[in-house]
Amino acid sequence: MTALAPELSDVHAVVEQVWSSFLGDEEPLLPRYDASGPLPADDVWSAAVSIHGGWAGTVTIELSATLAQNLTRLMLAMDDEPLDDADVADAVGELVNMVGGNIKSLMPGPSTLTLPYVAAGRAAHASDTTEVARLDAAWVGEPVRVSVHTTS
Amino acid sequence: MRLGVTMAPASFQQIAALVLRETSIIYEPRKEYLVEARLHPLAVQAGCSSVDQYVALVGVDAQERRKAIDALTINETSWFRDNAPYQAFTETMLPALMAGRTERRHISIWSAACSSGQEAYSIAMLLDQHLPAGWTADILATDVSTAMLARVEAGRYSQVEMNRGLPATSLVKYFTRAGSEWQVVPALRDMVRTRHLNLADSYIGIGTFDLVLLRNVLIYFDQPTRHDILRRIHPHVAGDGYLLLGSSETTLDMPADLTALWDREQLGRVQAHRPAGATNRPVHGLSATASPISAALTGA
Amino acid sequence: MRALIIDDSRAMRSILRRIVSGLSFETAEAGHGQEALDQMEAGLDPDLCLIDWNMPVMDGYTFVTRVRANPAWRNVTLMMVTTESEQGQIVRALAAGAHEYVIKPFTPDAIVEKLQLLGLVDKGVLA
Repeated sequence: MTALAPELSDVHAVVEQVWSSFLGDEEPLLPRYDASGPLPADDVWSAAVSIHGGWAGTVTIELSATLAQNLTRLMLAMDDEPLDDADVADAVGELVNMVGGNIKSLMPGPSTLTLPYVAAGRAAHASDTTEVARLDAAWVGEPVRVSVHTTS
Repeated sequence: MRLGVTMAPASFQQIAALVLRETSIIYEPRKEYLVEARLHPLAVQAGCSSVDQYVALVGVDAQERRKAIDALTINETSWFRDNAPYQAFTETMLPALMAGRTERRHISIWSAACSSGQEAYSIAMLLDQHLPAGWTADILATDVSTAMLARVEAGRYSQVEMNRGLPATSLVKYFTRAGSEWQVVPALRDMVRTRHLNLADSYIGIGTFDLVLLRNVLIYFDQPTRHDILRRIHPHVAGDGYLLLGSSETTLDMPADLTALWDREQLGRVQAHRPAGATNRPVHGLSATASPISAALTGA
Repeated sequence: MRALIIDDSRAMRSILRRIVSGLSFETAEAGHGQEALDQMEAGLDPDLCLIDWNMPVMDGYTFVTRVRANPAWRNVTLMMVTTESEQGQIVRALAAGAHEYVIKPFTPDAIVEKLQLLGLVDKGVLA
C-alpha cells in the first residue's frame, strides 16, 4: 500500500471542529510551531484508534495530563469533584474517536474504525509505521499532538 | 500590522448590544476574546488600527455593521432555517406559482442577502424534489460580501455546518465529501448564480422573480432604508409572486404608501407580502384546486 | 417523552443527556446496543434513541436493524449520533431504518434542530 496521507489542513480542520464543538471557543486551540521531539513521558495521556479497509492507519492524540483532566471536566460538566483515571480515559478516548472517525472519512473507504485504546503515558509506535501527518497545538498553554501513522 | 491587544470594555458592550438587538444572540463578557478574534480580520481589512476603532466604524457604516454581525453570527446559519417558510413554499407558494406558469414552466427565485448560501441551496433542494419533469428553475443569490458569494459558488460546507437542520436524506442526496468538507452536487450548483449587490443600492438589471427571500436582513438597516428597500423591490416581484421577510421583520411598521403597495397574506405560520392589486392573481386559486405537494420537512 | 442515549463513552452520554434534558426529555442510558435492547425488552419505552455507531458488544448499526425488526418498536425514532461519517455508511444507516443522522462533532443546536425536523421538539424552542 502506498503511504497515502490526509492533507494537514484537513486534519487541522477536523481537530479544530472537535475542539470548538465540545470545549467551547473562548479558548482557542493554537498551533505550536516550536514543538519538536516527543512530548515529555511523564504526565501525558495518549489515545489511539486504528482504521482498516480502503485505507489503513492509526490516529493518535497525546496530551498533557493537565489538559486531559481539564477537558474531561468540561465534557462531564464537573467542577471540583475528584476525577478518576477511568473518567479521563473515557473522555480522551471519545476525543480520539471523533478525530479518528472524521479522518477516516478523508481517506478512501469503506473502512472500519476500532474502539479507542487509551493509556496514561506516551504513545509508542511500531517500527514499521510511518508518521504521515502531525499537528502540534496548545490549549490554554498545555500541549496536544495529533498524529497519523500508516504501515509502510 | 499588529493590532491592540484587548478591546475596550465599552467597545465590547457596544458590539454585544448591537448583536443582541439585531440577532437575539447573546455575547457574554467572557466571550470578549471571541469577539476580538472575529472582528480582527475585518478591522485590518477596513484599515482600522484597532478593533475599538473598527467598532466605532460599525456604529456609523451599515455595510461594516452587516459584515461584523455576519462574522459574529458565523455557524449560526442553518439549512431550512425556521422551517415554516420552506413548508409554506412547498405546500402553498410553489403549487400556486406552477398553476400560473403552465406555459413557461420556469420558476425564478431571488435569495437577497444570501450569506453563505444555505437559504439558496435549501430552496434548490426543494425545487429538485417538487418540480415536475420539464420544469426549470433559477435562483439568484446576492450579497454585499464577495467572500460570501465565493462560498456560495464553491458550495462547500464544514462538517459542523452540515449538522445544522439538514435532513440526513438530503445530505446523502445533494452533497459529496470534499476533504473535511461537503460539497453541493453540480445539479444544484448549476441552479444557483451569484451577483454582488448592496441592497441599499440600485436593483437595475436584476430582473423579476416569482419569490424574493429577504429574510433577516432589513434589521441591519435603519428605518428609512428599510422602507426604501421595500419600495424599490416591489417591481422585482412578479404580480402573483411572493416576498418573504424574516419572522421578526413582518411586524415592522410601514408608512401608508408601503401598506398600499403590499398585501399581507398568511400562509400557515408564515406571513408573505404580495404586490397589492395584482390583476393576474386568482383570489383563492390554490386551496380549492391544487393538490398540495406534501411538505418535505415534516420528517414524518 | 423519553430518550435512550446509547454510547460507550460516559462523557458523550453526559453531553447528550444535558442537551435532551434541557428539552424536557426523561433520559435513560446504555453503553452499547445489547444493553439498550435489554432495557427496551424489560419495558423501557423510549420515544427516541440517540445511537453511537462504534461500540463494544453490539454496534449501533446492528441495534437499528434489531429495533426495526420488531414491530412493537415501530414508533421509536432512531437518530444516529456518531463520528462515522463516510457517505456510504450514512446511506446504510438510513436504509436500515435510522430516521436521522448527526455527525460528531456537533453543537447542541444541531441536536435541537434535528429533533425539530423529526417533530419531537416544538419549533418554538429556539425562537
